[in-house]
Amino acid sequence: MGTAKLFFEDVKVGTAITPLVKHPTAVQLFRFSAMTWNAHRIHYDKPYAETEGYPDVLVQSHLHGSFLVQMITDWAGPDARLVGFRWQNRGIAIPGDALTCTGTVVKTEVQDGLGYVECEIEERNQKNELCAPGWARVQLPRRA
Amino acid sequence: MSKSFPEIYEEVKAQVGKVRKIPIGVVARRDFERFAVAVGDSNPLFFDDAFARAHGYSAAIAPSLYLSAVLGWESGPPEDGLRVDGIPSRDSMAVPTAGLRVMGGGQDLEFHRAITAGMDVVIEFSVSGVELKEGRTGSLLIVELQKRFVTTDGTPLITCREKFIAR
Repeated sequence: MGTAKLFFEDVKVGTAITPLVKHPTAVQLFRFSAMTWNAHRIHYDKPYAETEGYPDVLVQSHLHGSFLVQMITDWAGPDARLVGFRWQNRGIAIPGDALTCTGTVVKTEVQDGLGYVECEIEERNQKNELCAPGWARVQLPRRA
Repeated sequence: MSKSFPEIYEEVKAQVGKVRKIPIGVVARRDFERFAVAVGDSNPLFFDDAFARAHGYSAAIAPSLYLSAVLGWESGPPEDGLRVDGIPSRDSMAVPTAGLRVMGGGQDLEFHRAITAGMDVVIEFSVSGVELKEGRTGSLLIVELQKRFVTTDGTPLITCREKFIAR
């Protein structure tokens, strides 16, 4: 994971990023809340989450973001550098969902001899509903 | 809800532009690894110093979202200091939205330098904006935060712009 080498010259506008599928569980949400000192009950207390109108505990905002980052860095490899990233939370996700992260290169450019690519990315659930759109800018190594 | 939307809006608005310096302290390798384990990301850059060095880093690095995902860097209040939804009623990164349901809206991040264990980190935290809007299901606040993560000697690490929705 994250060990293949991708060069700037291998990528062009329209290149697809290798998709990543994640299956969040209640245990994963608990551990992510613990690690981020997030006591918000919608992430670990289902009866409470239901009082806010949700069907179950919710995948954390930053866990959606982390899934998208993982897709980018697995695809780009360990010599790449993530220099910019953004995502938005548009739809909820719950344990048992299958979240598929995908993306496409939308821009390539060379600045000061370094190669950069920009990608539009998104995460959708098994019903193809959009959970989190995003964008990333990555510096990729160049072929000598 | 004890305060009205316009009152909460004014309270948040009064904080706009005020920069608070929040010390994180020295960041630790075990926390990077636990964050990666929680995400389910086994990238060796987070776990293997030799691997990280072979790819241009000085040591194993933190996952990209680790610093900006942690919601509190203090011990935090005891349980009776949490709101009914579990959010601390007071801490250094708290924004006065008591009584509202809050939801993270996402972040916009610039990564200036990789984070490695032993860095002593400070957050320069500010509320950069707040909007009062009428949504489909009633009033909502869109609060914008800025968090600049820098080392104690001023080296920029990450600039994070963040929005959350309170309704």
